[in-house]
Amino acid sequence: MSSFRAFRAMAENEVRASVRNRTALIFTLGLAVLFMIIFGLLFGGSGLAVSFDAVNNDGTAASVTYLGALGGVSGVTVHTKSHATAFADLKDDSITAVLVIPKGFGAALAGQGPPQQVAIYQAGGGSSSTAIADAVVANVTAGFAGHGHPTVTLSSPKVAEVNQVTEMDYMLPSMIAYIILFSGVNYVAIGLVEKRVTHVLRRFRATPVSSRTVLAAQVVGGGLTVLLQILVLVLLGTWVFGAKNYGNWLLLVPPIVLGTASFVGIGFLITSVSRTSESARALAAMVTFPLMFLSGLFFPISSLPTVVQTIARILPLAWASDALHQVMNDGAGFSAIATDCLVMTAWAVVTIAVAAWRFRWD
Amino acid sequence: MADIDVEGLVKRYGDVAAVDDLSFTVQRGEVFGMLGPNGAGKTTTLEIIEGLRTPDAGSVHVLGTDVLAHPETVKERIGVQLQATALPQFTKVREAVELFAALYRKARPVAEVMEEFNLEEKADAYTDKLSGGQMQRLSIALALVNDPDLVFLDEPTTGLDPQARLNIWTVIEGIRQRRKTVVLTTHYMEEAERLCDRVAVIDRGRIVALDTPPRLIAEHAPGTTIEFALVPGLDPETLRALPGVERVVADGRVSVTTRTPEAVLHALLDPHAPWNTGGDVDRGAGGGGSGGGAGPGGGAIRDLMVRHGTLEDVFLSLTGRSLRE
Repeated sequence: MSSFRAFRAMAENEVRASVRNRTALIFTLGLAVLFMIIFGLLFGGSGLAVSFDAVNNDGTAASVTYLGALGGVSGVTVHTKSHATAFADLKDDSITAVLVIPKGFGAALAGQGPPQQVAIYQAGGGSSSTAIADAVVANVTAGFAGHGHPTVTLSSPKVAEVNQVTEMDYMLPSMIAYIILFSGVNYVAIGLVEKRVTHVLRRFRATPVSSRTVLAAQVVGGGLTVLLQILVLVLLGTWVFGAKNYGNWLLLVPPIVLGTASFVGIGFLITSVSRTSESARALAAMVTFPLMFLSGLFFPISSLPTVVQTIARILPLAWASDALHQVMNDGAGFSAIATDCLVMTAWAVVTIAVAAWRFRWD
Repeated sequence: MADIDVEGLVKRYGDVAAVDDLSFTVQRGEVFGMLGPNGAGKTTTLEIIEGLRTPDAGSVHVLGTDVLAHPETVKERIGVQLQATALPQFTKVREAVELFAALYRKARPVAEVMEEFNLEEKADAYTDKLSGGQMQRLSIALALVNDPDLVFLDEPTTGLDPQARLNIWTVIEGIRQRRKTVVLTTHYMEEAERLCDRVAVIDRGRIVALDTPPRLIAEHAPGTTIEFALVPGLDPETLRALPGVERVVADGRVSVTTRTPEAVLHALLDPHAPWNTGGDVDRGAGGGGSGGGAGPGGGAIRDLMVRHGTLEDVFLSLTGRSLRE
């Protein structure tokens, strides 16, 4: 009972001290917000340009001419892509809509087959540019097919089964992962080493408090600080930057808690091999910076070289980032992130166990 | 039963014995001092008794409990001030007292502790913004927050200015008045002389003497010391020949130890003594620098000081070295 009181007092003091530590906050929450602003400004404004990916199932000269005519309209770009690529582009918000030209398009135009319909797909949550896209395609199609005998028509726009993820929507889960990474590692690794070199740990040991209580308070206090920052980031991200969450908010809890636990564990591990706070800082930087770039925070892992991808997929941040993106961007359910959660749990258990075993008081 | 009972304590670091077969007891209500230079093994000894370090040999009983077997029981009933005052960052004074109060099963009311140690004025200041003296007061307050029977203070006044040191001495005297047993380490002999009932003089991990300050002085530094600036042309050897002089040390200043200070002073200040008459030549050559402080009768003895033996002299006579380095 009294040891719980001690634990609570120490964890409370830890959270309060972390919130007062402006420098550390700027480095974690501050930078996360800054990244959102920068990426939002760089990639957020789409203007009135319209771009299509065309899936040409016909392949005749007539269909190529049709797409050429569409691409000739000022402000419109058309790229012919495979079905899968086209819909992936739509999901990434790099195009406005997907056009699908049916087989028999050329034959219909030549009057040798049944009339065909060109399909247009837009992402869910359509923006202003999709309406323009519809109008442009309708015009070109009508002009191309001729008014008298509409051998080729345009289908009414269909909504593709993907959520159109804006840069902000992608950045919010990324920045949650960023905070998990930096705070998790730094608050515990640097916090604990500093307490050791400044003899704060020694002072606590001169009281009846057990070593387990001291370590638990540091870990839980650090973890709560991470959660507080994420809360602020999510509120700012959704209210100020307009990021959307297509998934269930509650499903964010397991990846956030488990991700935090695995980075707290890694931070803890750094403590057990660092003698000075300088070496802890250096080691933490060596872990955090490569992870930040290797784990799909700023660009998808699939765009990395295969060898690097393999490495990235072993590290816990990739799993945290994957789970958060799946939930928030794709509206995935728990079964989709179960593997992520399992891997993070393994990381947390192993790192914390090894660190607790190797821990030194002075 | 003694509050502290240490038997045959040994702690080695590699080949060096930091604590080399120490044995002593501390009685209830006593202020017990451990006096010695840096590196003598005072802090290591203290930290073993506090349950922070494990000795290589020996036994330690504190308040009747075996520290090595039941450190938590002992820690509940003792108060500790470590040499390097260390508190968590970004913590205010009142929060620090509240935090440490929460670490014990029984603790005194926070407000009462704050008042006793004059900390209310600084209650909302961050601990790292305190002056040396305020920090030390807080650190002693934290050692007393659990109302311990036994308090350990490791160099409580090191690095403080004289005013702050005096303030801490008053605080420690207050603790003594509340009938608590106090063990303190210091390398200031004035501090040990003023505060301690008994002093263990420690050198290289061993107790070289243990007694009350007056008895230590009477035994190891008897007599009176006469000190003055070294006079040009005065050979300290000639002083050894004066009747009643027991010891002469000359390093910039001359210290003459004697049990008949009156006779030695008389001889020293004798206007016909060679060092007081032969000054003309030296003074002409030495310039005005030595002229101002000329002794009585036109003699050359300057900056004269007469004092009784101190614990510093005790240490010097026991080890042949000075307390500070």
